[in-house]
Amino acid sequence: MTDPVSAAPPPHAPVDPRLLEILVCPLTKQALTYDRVRNELVSRAAGLAYPIRDGIPIMLPEEARKLDDA
Amino acid sequence: MTGMDEMHVFDRAAVRRHRDRAAATVGGVAEVLADAAERLLDRLDDTSRRFGRALDVGGRGVVAPLLRARGLHVVSCDLSARMAARSGGPCVAADEECLPFAPASFDLVVASLSLHWVNDLPGALIQLRQALAPDGLLLASLPALGTLAELRAALTEAEAALTGGAAPRVSPFPDLRDCAGLLQRAGFALPVADVEEIALLYADPLALLRDLRAAGEANAVALRDRRAPPRALFPLALAGLPEQDGRVRASLRLAMLTGWAPAEGQPKPAARGSGTVSLADVLKKE
Repeated sequence: MTDPVSAAPPPHAPVDPRLLEILVCPLTKQALTYDRVRNELVSRAAGLAYPIRDGIPIMLPEEARKLDDA
Repeated sequence: MTGMDEMHVFDRAAVRRHRDRAAATVGGVAEVLADAAERLLDRLDDTSRRFGRALDVGGRGVVAPLLRARGLHVVSCDLSARMAARSGGPCVAADEECLPFAPASFDLVVASLSLHWVNDLPGALIQLRQALAPDGLLLASLPALGTLAELRAALTEAEAALTGGAAPRVSPFPDLRDCAGLLQRAGFALPVADVEEIALLYADPLALLRDLRAAGEANAVALRDRRAPPRALFPLALAGLPEQDGRVRASLRLAMLTGWAPAEGQPKPAARGSGTVSLADVLKKE
């Protein structure tokens, strides 16, 4: 799971790749994209980014960051 | 009555807080939780079906190791991230009313004593069924009507004596018949609900309240009385609990639910009108 391009190791606790395969947005049930830099799971359909803390995806809409429409 | 939505019997923010706090203390009640979980997982021995991928819903660090010991890959979820982390494996913070799992992600879902603070239980069950692959199994246990009946009665009596009224201090529990109906409404095939009783005896009645809190089971009824209870309430109520050999008794009456995600090849009732033998003819022979 290491990224050969970046010199510094990612500062985040790694998320289990098996989780990424089965997680969907809890509101829309649509697929998520993993934003490696911000360490978030992004739901375009819901306009929300779910944080990953200590390797644990926080799939709670009230904890998610609203995406700007930019 | 307030204008509160009737679906919101429980205060989910409070449930989450209680479970966050209990993540540090739940080890103290692991024995009771493990006993309840083992009884639920016993049902796995009744089927020849083999399971690979399991979802542990709210297993509080007790259920996931038991499933892993049976050779399953386990993902755990809990409303509280801290409680989810106790599973010791892959886990997510998730709301049972709004689950984040793709269809057919699991062959087995185990919810051991974790669905009784959910407002929309039919909705949660439907989502769990959708997370199951065809012919996947749901095992769930819920405290049923009769759980903590002694405590409920003692608290109500003591509060009525002190204040002339009573606030809900023990969560409302469903009755067994409701449970089987719920599974059916949520689209599970071959639904079964049965009851197991666990009796706990406490030398010190205060320890019962401490254990409930340690497990994250403090009152989260939305209409609970948020004021500090009258100082004499708990001493009076605990003194009123029925004793057995000098110890107070607390009953857990657990509804054990099993249901299957529908699949081809499962036993089903025959279609209406598909019979080839007339019942009237059979009965006439007598």
